[in-house]
Amino acid sequence: MASVKLTKVKKVYDNKVVAVHDFDLDIKDKEFVVFVGPSGCGKSTTLRMIAGLEDISDGTVEIDGEVVNDLQPKDRGIAMVFQNYALYPHMTVYDNIAFSLRLQKMPEDEIYERVTKAAEILGITDYLLRKPRALSGGQRQRVAIGRAMVRNSKVFLMDEPLSNLDAKLRNQMRAEIILLRQRLDTTFIYVTHDQTEAMTLADRIVIMKDGYIMQVGTPEECFDMPKNLFVAEFIGAPKMNVMETELIKEGGKYFVKPFGAKIEVDGAKGELLHEFNAQPGQIILGVRPEHIVLSKDGEHAIPCTLEVNEMMGSELHLHVFTEDGTRLIVRVPTIDLTAEERSGLVRGKKLFLSFEGKVMHFFDKESKKNLLIREE
Amino acid sequence: MNETLEKRSMGLRASRTISNTLIYIVLVIMSVVWLIPFICIVLQSFRVESTWQVGYVIPQQWGWDNYIALWNSDFKRWYLNTFIIALAVAVLQTVIVLCMSYTLSRFRFKLRDGLMRFMLILGMFPGMLTMIILYRVLKDLGLTQANAVPGLILVYVASSGMGYYVSKGFFDTIPKSLDEAARVDGATRAQVLTKIILPLAKPIVIYTILTAFMAPWGDFVFARYVSFGTSAGMNVAVGMYGWLQLDQIGQKYTMFCAGGVVVAIPVTILFMCLQKYYVEGVTGGAVKG
Repeated sequence: MASVKLTKVKKVYDNKVVAVHDFDLDIKDKEFVVFVGPSGCGKSTTLRMIAGLEDISDGTVEIDGEVVNDLQPKDRGIAMVFQNYALYPHMTVYDNIAFSLRLQKMPEDEIYERVTKAAEILGITDYLLRKPRALSGGQRQRVAIGRAMVRNSKVFLMDEPLSNLDAKLRNQMRAEIILLRQRLDTTFIYVTHDQTEAMTLADRIVIMKDGYIMQVGTPEECFDMPKNLFVAEFIGAPKMNVMETELIKEGGKYFVKPFGAKIEVDGAKGELLHEFNAQPGQIILGVRPEHIVLSKDGEHAIPCTLEVNEMMGSELHLHVFTEDGTRLIVRVPTIDLTAEERSGLVRGKKLFLSFEGKVMHFFDKESKKNLLIREE
Repeated sequence: MNETLEKRSMGLRASRTISNTLIYIVLVIMSVVWLIPFICIVLQSFRVESTWQVGYVIPQQWGWDNYIALWNSDFKRWYLNTFIIALAVAVLQTVIVLCMSYTLSRFRFKLRDGLMRFMLILGMFPGMLTMIILYRVLKDLGLTQANAVPGLILVYVASSGMGYYVSKGFFDTIPKSLDEAARVDGATRAQVLTKIILPLAKPIVIYTILTAFMAPWGDFVFARYVSFGTSAGMNVAVGMYGWLQLDQIGQKYTMFCAGGVVVAIPVTILFMCLQKYYVEGVTGGAVKG
């Protein structure tokens, strides 16, 4: 159990490409932090720098108050689970899990005790004498976790551990990682490109892009108050609808005018606009698909045409085009629709959409920053 | 309809049988042609009625005389020399080649590509070009003639690092994440090599040992040059070559054949035991790479 502190950590490769820029982060003891971002954003590189598998070009990494920049991976008190499991193919499951303990010259009976206990927790006791090639993807992942578990490390690092599994198994393993976290009660740093994993697992999410941190916050903060347009679009599935629109102020009230409609920004968001003294003008408006509703024609409604109707089971994903050709996605719970309404949702159908002020997100057109968050 | 199909399938089966038979006949003929010299040598080595070359293959009188004569000649010394050289070279060269391959496969350092290219080009020059200077160096060090054994070991081992291509290619196919996992687990670089990489690269290790053993075992040119007529420093190839000279061939021909058989025994055993790995080693890197 330990805290991890990264101060101005930078990674520059030999070809002068900067993979990570001045990365500052304080990870508290027993915290579960998820690095998330698209491919090439530097999340795995940062994790590998913490692990000691990648040289740190500048800055410091501290684990439990000790600067570990120049320490070997084995001396940092970390355990790591790799994306491709990295199990030793010539060893049995037992030997794979026992490998690190044998290197520590631990007595065999203690090794036996630890390995069998880990195997029991992970449900792989029956496979201890098998070689990794005789295991399924999920079982291999459990062995990889078991190998990391037995070391009783201060920090548990996981590099996209679920990305090689199929969707169903991924959901199951995600739940198991939550249980494992409760059981191990240690500091976790987890890397993924899947925002769902980040949202479900993390105490705090670090969203990265092109080597920069875009936002650090709890899943709720990142979802409800994205710092910038990138975070807004990255977190949430399907991604947030964005539209260039005008923000106007009439009679002491703010309005937005997307696609010919005129919608008042009421509630908390309206108050915040007043508090920030937002200047009327062109802005980028963001609204999540689940916050848009089908409505009737009127001044507050956006007219559009249905292009694709995706049946997701409990909800429909409607892909619509506005009159100027902007594509929007709307999530409609199927339970809210009658059978007749549902069957009428076919390509070419004219629809009207509306949303409330409290669900709107406002971004600066140039800087793409959230207008309702103060600069630190 | 069914009849036509049946006829066609019978036709196909017949043509496959014919082509298989032809292939086997050709292969059997090739094997026989290839084996004849070996069989002749083995048979001649048991011939005791005469020691010179005769016009027939199957001995009229069989016996171990030639092998006993071998035991009582300098052959023992040559055989021991050859074995010491081959064994020492096999061990040292394997260690050097595997370390070199691991380094070039896993480490990134300045001039790495330049070094690999340099060694590739250097390897294109025939080794014979260095013979005169190597002889001078060995002579200055006192490692020729009677002391040829350490001299030859030095020469064979010196250039080992350049034979890294095949094993480096094989190591490249082993995922780097295994090294990383082992390092996180607490292994040193040396432990990563010995506990993870080498067990996974067993075929290539065996291939390296075999090739390192074989080259000095059968060498003639360099060994003859360095031993320079001194029996105590000769290997089997050089020593037995003397028996084929005009003044000796009449008395030593059957002994020469017996010597050939004795020389072939360890190599044959090695190959028979390790052929599975050898084939994997030769082809493994190429297929996986």
